[in-house]
Amino acid sequence: MIAAATRYQRASDVDHALELLGEPDAKAIAGGQSLIPVMKLRIARPSVVVDISRLELCGVEEREGALHIGPLTTWAELAATDPPAGLDAIPECAREIGDVQVRNLGTIGGSIVHADPASDMPAVLLALGASLEIRSTDGSRDVALADVFLGPFTTALGGQELVTDVVVPLPAPGSGSAYASVEHPASGFALVGAAALVGPAGETVALTGVAATPFVLDGDPQNAIAAAEIFGDRFASEEYRRDLASVVAERALASARERSDA
Amino acid sequence: MSEIIGVARPRVDAPDKVTGATQFAADGYVHGLLHARPVLATEAHARIRGVEKQEALAVPGVVAVLVASDLPVATAGTDRTSEPLAREEVVFAGQPVALVVAETEAAAEDGAELVVVDYESLAAVVDVEAAMEVGAPLARSVEEADDEAGDLESIHAGVDHGQEDDPGEELSGNVLDRITRERGDLAAAFASSDAVVEGTFRTPWVYQAYLEPQVCTAWLEPSGTLVVSTSTQGAFVTRREIARAFDLPLERVRVIAEPLGGAFGGKFALIEPLAVGPALALKRPVRLVLTRGEDFQSTNPASAQVTHMKVGARKDGTFTAIEARMIVDRGSNAGWGVEGTTSALAPGPYRWEAHDIRGYGVQTNRFTFGAYRAPGAPTAAYALESLLDELAEQLDLDPIEMRLRNAFVEGDIGMGGNPFPPFGAVDVLERLRDHPLWSKRDSLPSDEGVGMAAGFWPGGLEPAAAVCRVDSDGTMTVVTTAADMSGVNTGFAAIAAAAFGLAPDDVRVVTADTSFGPYSGGSGGSKVTYTVGAAVLRAAEAAREKVLAAAAQELEIAPDDLEVVDGVVRAKGAPDRSVTVKEIAQKALRFGGRYEPVEGHGGSAQTSSAPSIAAHLSHVRVDRETGEVELLHHVIAQDVGRALNPALVEGQMRGGAAQGMGWALYEELAHDEDGRLLTGSFLDYAIPTAERVPEIETLIVEVPAPDGPFGAKGIGEAPVVGAPAAVANAVAAAIGKRLYELPMTPPRVWKALRS
Amino acid sequence: MSDTVSVVVNGEPRSLEVEGRTLLVHALRDGLGLTGTHIGCDTSQCGACTVLLDGRAVKSCTVLAHQAEDREITTIEGLAANGELHPLQRAFVEHHGLQCGFCTPGVILTAADLLSRDASPSDETIRHALRGNLCRCTGYQGIVESIRAAGGTS
Repeated sequence: MIAAATRYQRASDVDHALELLGEPDAKAIAGGQSLIPVMKLRIARPSVVVDISRLELCGVEEREGALHIGPLTTWAELAATDPPAGLDAIPECAREIGDVQVRNLGTIGGSIVHADPASDMPAVLLALGASLEIRSTDGSRDVALADVFLGPFTTALGGQELVTDVVVPLPAPGSGSAYASVEHPASGFALVGAAALVGPAGETVALTGVAATPFVLDGDPQNAIAAAEIFGDRFASEEYRRDLASVVAERALASARERSDA
Repeated sequence: MSEIIGVARPRVDAPDKVTGATQFAADGYVHGLLHARPVLATEAHARIRGVEKQEALAVPGVVAVLVASDLPVATAGTDRTSEPLAREEVVFAGQPVALVVAETEAAAEDGAELVVVDYESLAAVVDVEAAMEVGAPLARSVEEADDEAGDLESIHAGVDHGQEDDPGEELSGNVLDRITRERGDLAAAFASSDAVVEGTFRTPWVYQAYLEPQVCTAWLEPSGTLVVSTSTQGAFVTRREIARAFDLPLERVRVIAEPLGGAFGGKFALIEPLAVGPALALKRPVRLVLTRGEDFQSTNPASAQVTHMKVGARKDGTFTAIEARMIVDRGSNAGWGVEGTTSALAPGPYRWEAHDIRGYGVQTNRFTFGAYRAPGAPTAAYALESLLDELAEQLDLDPIEMRLRNAFVEGDIGMGGNPFPPFGAVDVLERLRDHPLWSKRDSLPSDEGVGMAAGFWPGGLEPAAAVCRVDSDGTMTVVTTAADMSGVNTGFAAIAAAAFGLAPDDVRVVTADTSFGPYSGGSGGSKVTYTVGAAVLRAAEAAREKVLAAAAQELEIAPDDLEVVDGVVRAKGAPDRSVTVKEIAQKALRFGGRYEPVEGHGGSAQTSSAPSIAAHLSHVRVDRETGEVELLHHVIAQDVGRALNPALVEGQMRGGAAQGMGWALYEELAHDEDGRLLTGSFLDYAIPTAERVPEIETLIVEVPAPDGPFGAKGIGEAPVVGAPAAVANAVAAAIGKRLYELPMTPPRVWKALRS
Repeated sequence: MSDTVSVVVNGEPRSLEVEGRTLLVHALRDGLGLTGTHIGCDTSQCGACTVLLDGRAVKSCTVLAHQAEDREITTIEGLAANGELHPLQRAFVEHHGLQCGFCTPGVILTAADLLSRDASPSDETIRHALRGNLCRCTGYQGIVESIRAAGGTS
């Protein structure tokens, strides 16, 4: 219930944050809604908590053919956003994450770097072909989100790196997107979540909650689900989740198709 | 009087609760307080070879690391009071093994992380049916040494244990108790039936999930009195247990029952020794506030149960025979189990021509079982009410009409051999039968279903006393020692106001501690309003006699010709001849006063219980693709005797029904095959949320209890009993298949649909 | 090991003496004696610890005290003004929105956040907003009715 002893530092800007994150076992904290729970369980034991929550990395802006979402944008802010055409899945998903209190503090960036294999928004971002702008002391790099998730709670980010932008390309005109999920009744995390993007170029579906990381389905969704490596547990077996994935993917597609011009 | 009883007044404690002023047990400031953190066993069955304390003791702020031998416990038993920390043998994963005591909670937690316990693993007994077989490894190697395990069973429901052992059945030493209840010719009754159905029903361990984790603070006063400030349902029970275990005279133990943040049966003399022991050993105040994870692992949830049941009926719907074999997983509770109550309640509120019910209390390497709202009843009702629906289907009878045909009425002989007092079974069933939801059950969309079920609770009995004292401002203070778990204080205020003749706003209720408060039993068993309320009524009447005697002198009118209304004593028929209660009090409560203080003491010792029955309608929609069950609507009709305060009664009805929905669809404490708890937090154990509980329509039925205050009964437990069964029957109606295991999680419903 | 964090609590400037790891809920309860904020779980789900941070409902068990520096916190003790109950508090009393009362402060503060954004929420909206507030006693209906009444659409 009480975290292991740690120090607290507040970053004044991104460079300062990167400097502070140079200490071994330093951890950045934004909204804290992912980090603090694991600190309380003493699974995470940072030497210093680097508070980046007051940096100017929030806000949602459309420019250069993409929606740029500041990593410190809270779920509440995202849920209240009027999205550009075809990006309905973003506020739709944000509205259902956690609860009111979590949404008031939890950030999109914090969730991405926490990389819980059952979190919802990564599926949406994957289906939408999002990428991240990542800053380190060496400069900036852009990484496709699909290359960021390496495993449960593991990302391609180094210890001294920060996400500075979440970039979602604007879909082609006439596109529609949607998110559907079945939740675990206790945790609220996705037993299976599916995000779909439907447009003139085709249909993309991404799943979360069923594997080591969220992932995009290759080719026909139903075939891909039948072949995918899906895990099960005591509550929900592999057989059940596979079938559920099929159902939820279909529901997300149906909703996305309805929103598109297809 | 009619404007007080039956009025939905706000709770007397509401203003303090909505402003955060209420001091719960973890809230009070105590000078010099130390904080305890338990170290819980990680093995389900093991011998303790040693406990490494050194690293923990080195943490700044840690004052002590205590094991069983460090606590001054005087008794040798294996109950949680006598053995708050495991001595040599760990019998469930989560059992407290050591206590780290420190100046701050953080230091205590830092220290607890560093305590290393060396275990020698023993075979863990986790399958309750396998545990019964001769030759099965024993869940506990050490013999139960102490018969004085304290009488914790009777505080929930005094039920006899039927006949003695049936020597015909050879069972292992894990079977701690066997109950046999037989009457009539079972074979003949089955033979005369036109329909016989049977099934095996499984229910899991279920957690009370009170929002306030268990907490206790203990300290020694300079005079040597041990003060125990605790979140408890039973101050006197706790005092008795602590005095027994630590060999202290009763008058040296003072138990203060703090406001309860929910309990539902789980807070009866369980964790106090874990604060008392260190307080006595270290001679400093010690507080133990369990974390939620510790509360999940180490407290006392409700037993898992396997019920094999077979029932028969004739084609006119008359119930003939019921046979049941009910296996109760007691976990590591050697002292008592619900096999007594579940077997007594298996036949439900119905007449049968013959019954043969056997209950088995089996020990396994799991939690110490504890009581949870109507212990043993929801599990019995799930089996019975599911099978009754199958009978109705086979016989092509309306499920409610069939139950009406057999429902107990006043005078019928119940399981205990006594005639039933006035009982609202017929009334509540008729209210459901006439409800529009029931009439439209066959014309619903194909994924929806409506189910019904009934469940009752016999109602507990325990003598009680109360004091009503009028103060010099003419208001009244009611004193009891009953822990206010369900809002009883608001009921007491209304009873006292109505019986004496004051406005309810002029009555306050205080909960005294064991050192000077009038006796009451634990708050549980659905008996507080019935028994303590009756004592309050008599106390108020006794005080009223005093004020009448004084007023008679003042007014020179005979007491019989006076009445007390809204704080004024006046002549019947001539209200201008009057004196206020306040004036009398002021004349009494002063130097040289001429009247006795206006105080009354009342006691009660009812011998006839007041059973309450609730019947439910559940309306569900099943998503056949995902297996999710959505609760659309719920109706509960309950016989409450007399609704002293309809809003509080409805609150109990809704709360109980909602807990039943949790039993039905969401709640399960699951272990791995080594007996370790897998679902030890609200991340895994789902209690119903506001989104998942539907609107609950309440129908209050009043069949007055002859011995209850203004006819009221205890009503806290009946509302949960039939709720899981009603939801199960609704799901069966929706999908055409029955589930024989709770909870009916989406994967299980999905699987049933495809089998 | 102790740091000083300045916050505004219930309209008054206060100083919290905390460690890096100290949670806001502990700073409020143990540091300032504001025990109306309760601890009901350890996985950030039950909502009994809910307070308002700059007017928004948050779980104080999932906020480091340090993070609240220079921010405005409202606890349940700060809702009533000039001895008058807040409309939500009055509604919970009059419409029977509580039983044991342990979840109540958190529920009321979440409701305050909701009503500040949506003055007349539907029952469905209310129930959705209460997802992060667990109650074991009431079955939620009294809570929903109280919030509805406070919102003025009863």
